[in-house]
Amino acid sequence: MSQPDLATTPDQQAPPVSRRRRASSGRVPRIVWLFLLIPLAVELAWVFWPAMNSFWLSLTRWSGVGAAEFVGFDNYANLLDDPVFRTAASNTVIWTIGFGGLSVIMGLTLAVVLNRPRRGVGLYRSAIYLPMVFSLVVTGLFWRVLYQPDGAINSTFELIGLDGVARQWLADPDTALYAVLIAAVWRQVGYIMVLYLAGLKGVDPSLEEAAAVDGANRWQRFRYVVFPQLRGVNTVIFAVTVIDSLRTFDIVWAMTRGGPYDSSQLLSTYMFQQGFTLVNLGYGSAIAVTIFLLAIGFIITYLVRATRED
Amino acid sequence: MTTSRMSRRGFLAGSAALGVSGLLTGCVGAGGSDDEGDAASSPEGNGTPESTGPVTLQSSLSDPQPRAALESLIDAYDGDVTLNTVAIENYRAQLPTYLSSSNPPDVLTWYAGSVARDYAARGLLLDLSDLWTGDGACAGFSDALRSLSSTEDGTPIFVPTNYYWWGVFYRPSAFEEWGVEPAETWDDFLALCETLNAQGVSPLTMGTGGTPWVAAGWFDYLNLRVNGPEYHRELLAGQHSFDSAEVRAVMDEYAKLLPFIDPNGRSYSWQDAVTPLVQKRAAMYLIGAFITQAFPEEDVDDVDFFRVPIIDPSLPVGEEAPTDGYFAASGSQNPDGAKALLSHLAAPEYQQQFIELAGSSNLPTSPDVDTSGFSPLVQKGITHLEETDEITQFFNRDSSDELQATADTALTRFLDDPDDVDAILADWQAAAERVFDA
Repeated sequence: MSQPDLATTPDQQAPPVSRRRRASSGRVPRIVWLFLLIPLAVELAWVFWPAMNSFWLSLTRWSGVGAAEFVGFDNYANLLDDPVFRTAASNTVIWTIGFGGLSVIMGLTLAVVLNRPRRGVGLYRSAIYLPMVFSLVVTGLFWRVLYQPDGAINSTFELIGLDGVARQWLADPDTALYAVLIAAVWRQVGYIMVLYLAGLKGVDPSLEEAAAVDGANRWQRFRYVVFPQLRGVNTVIFAVTVIDSLRTFDIVWAMTRGGPYDSSQLLSTYMFQQGFTLVNLGYGSAIAVTIFLLAIGFIITYLVRATRED
Repeated sequence: MTTSRMSRRGFLAGSAALGVSGLLTGCVGAGGSDDEGDAASSPEGNGTPESTGPVTLQSSLSDPQPRAALESLIDAYDGDVTLNTVAIENYRAQLPTYLSSSNPPDVLTWYAGSVARDYAARGLLLDLSDLWTGDGACAGFSDALRSLSSTEDGTPIFVPTNYYWWGVFYRPSAFEEWGVEPAETWDDFLALCETLNAQGVSPLTMGTGGTPWVAAGWFDYLNLRVNGPEYHRELLAGQHSFDSAEVRAVMDEYAKLLPFIDPNGRSYSWQDAVTPLVQKRAAMYLIGAFITQAFPEEDVDDVDFFRVPIIDPSLPVGEEAPTDGYFAASGSQNPDGAKALLSHLAAPEYQQQFIELAGSSNLPTSPDVDTSGFSPLVQKGITHLEETDEITQFFNRDSSDELQATADTALTRFLDDPDDVDAILADWQAAAERVFDA
C-alpha cells in the first residue's frame, strides 16, 4: 500500500533504509490507528462492557437495589425448570420459522406478480410497502383493534357465514401467537417485496425469453431461470429475516404482553418481563445471555457457510 | 473477587461511576442516605419545613385528569418544582432505578404498605417523622393510615393523600329498568346474576385482556369473604399454600361466577370493560372507585356500588382500600424542600382540590377535608370504609408485583379452564415459591 501523505511529513528526512523497511513491514500511519482505536474503544465501552456485565449479572440475584448476590449458575438451572422459559423458547422457534417463511414466500410472490410494468402497478407496490412506515408498536395497536371480539375480523367472518371461526384471537392461548405473527408478517411483506423487486431488476430478461422459446412454462421459467439468479438477494433476505425474527419484541409486547398466561411469550418478551417489569435483573440477564448465544451461534454458522461458498 | 456479595460501598461507587456527570453529586447523595437522622432533625425541626431550592416531583399519574389535577396543585405551590410524568408501566419498572440513582427525584408518587416498606428497608426512603408529629401535615391522620405509612419499627416514610374503595359498581337506572336490586348475601347475588342472565344481560363485566390483574380483585374479595382478612394477609405473605383446601374453597366460589362473566372481557382492558356497563349490556363490575374516570361525563351521576356480598357472616368484614400518596428519596439533594412539597400536597385544601379535579372518586386522607361538597358516591364510599372491620389494599400491594404476575397467570388460566383448577393451583404455588425463595 502506498503512503503518499507520509512522504511529505517531517519524516521525509529519515534515512531511505528505514523508510523502505517501514513501507515493507506495512506500518500503519498514526492517523489510521486513531481511526481504528477510537471506534474500538467506543465499541468496547458501549457494547462489549455491557455485554460482559450482563453475563456477570446473570450469575447473580439482583433487584436493582442494594448489593447483587452471587448465585453461580442457579439462574440457568432455574431456566431449565421454568415452564414459561420452555414455552418462550419453543415459541421463538415457531416465530422464526413462521415469520421468516411466510414473509419470504409472500414477498417473493408479490414481487414476481408486480414486477411487470402495467397500469397502476406502482400504486399496488406502494400500498403493500405502506405498512413498513408504521412502527411495529403502531402495527400492533392497529391489529389489536381488528382482533377485538366485535372487531373487523370477526365481523367479516360472521358476514360471510363463518360464525364458528370467529373467536377472541388475542385472548385465546391457541391463537394468540399466530394472530400476532400475521400482523408482523403483514408489515414485513412489503419490505421483502421491495428487496426482491430490486433483485428482479438484475435478472437478464433475454434468458427468460430464450427459455420461453424453448417451451418452458411460467413456473419452469421462474424455477430454473429466474430464481437461481436471485441468489445474492436471497442471502441478504435470509440474514435480514432471521435477525428480524430473533429480535422481535415490540409487536408481541404491544398486542399481548406475552399473554394470555404466557402462551405468546417469546424469549425477548420474557427477558423484558423478568428484567424490567419484575426487576429480576439476574434472571432476566440469564435469558438475555441465552438469546445472545443463540444469535451468535446462528451468525457464526451462517458466516462460515457464506464464506465457504465464496 | 472472593466475596460473593458486592459491598455497599462498592455498589455506591459503581452507581456513582455510572452517572458520569453526576459523580460528585452521587457521593453527596450517598452520604445523605447515611445521615437520614440529621436530615430529620435539621434546624427547621418540626412543623412545616421552609421550601429551599428546587425539587423534582416524579409522577406516575399519566391519565389526563389526575395529571392536570396534580399540575394545578404544583401551580398553587410557591416553590420551584419540576414535575416529570411517566407512564405507569415504565414508572413501575424504573422506580428502583430512580430511588437508587446518584441524583434521585426528591419526591415520588407511589403506594403505601409493603411496597413502600420494602424500599424503606433498603434505606432508600427519607424519614418523614417531622410530618407526622407536632403540627406536621400528617399529624392528624388516622392511626390506620399511620401504620400503613410506617416501617415495621414505626418510622413514617410515606405521605398518604388519598385512598379509594373497591365495590360492585352498577348503574341504578339500569337496575331499575331490569327490575332488580343490589344483593346483600352471596346466595342473593348469585340469584341476581341468574335473573340478569335470563334477561340477556351479562351480569358481570371484567377486563382481563390488557389488565389481567382485574381477575385478582375477585380472588381477594372471595378470599376475604371465605377465609377472612387474617388468612388473606398471611396467604399473600407466603405463610399458606395456594394449593390448600382454603384456596380451593375460594376457587369453588369463583367458579360459580364464571358463567356470569362477559366472555368478551378476556380481550378488554379494565377501561374497555366499562363500556358494556355504560351501554347497559353488562350489569355489574367489581373494581375500584377509579372506575368513574372511565365513565362518560354525562353518566357519572348514574353510578352506584354495593359491598361484595357476605359469604361467611362469622368472619370480620374486610374491604380493599388501596392508598396512594408520595414518598421522598433518602438520596434527595434537598430533603427540606422535599418535605415542604409533601406538606403542601398533604394539606387538606389541596387534597380536596386534587380529588375534585381528578374526578377520581378517591377519598381524602386528611380528617380536616370538608367532604360535604363531595358527590353522594364519594360520601357513600367514606361510610363504606368507616363501617368495615379490616382494610386490605390489593393483591400486589399486600404482596409484590412479582406475586401479582403469578396470580395473573393462574387466574386468567382459571377463567378459561375452570375444570383444571387442581393443576392451576399446584402451578400457582410452584410459581409463588419461586418468588418467595428469590
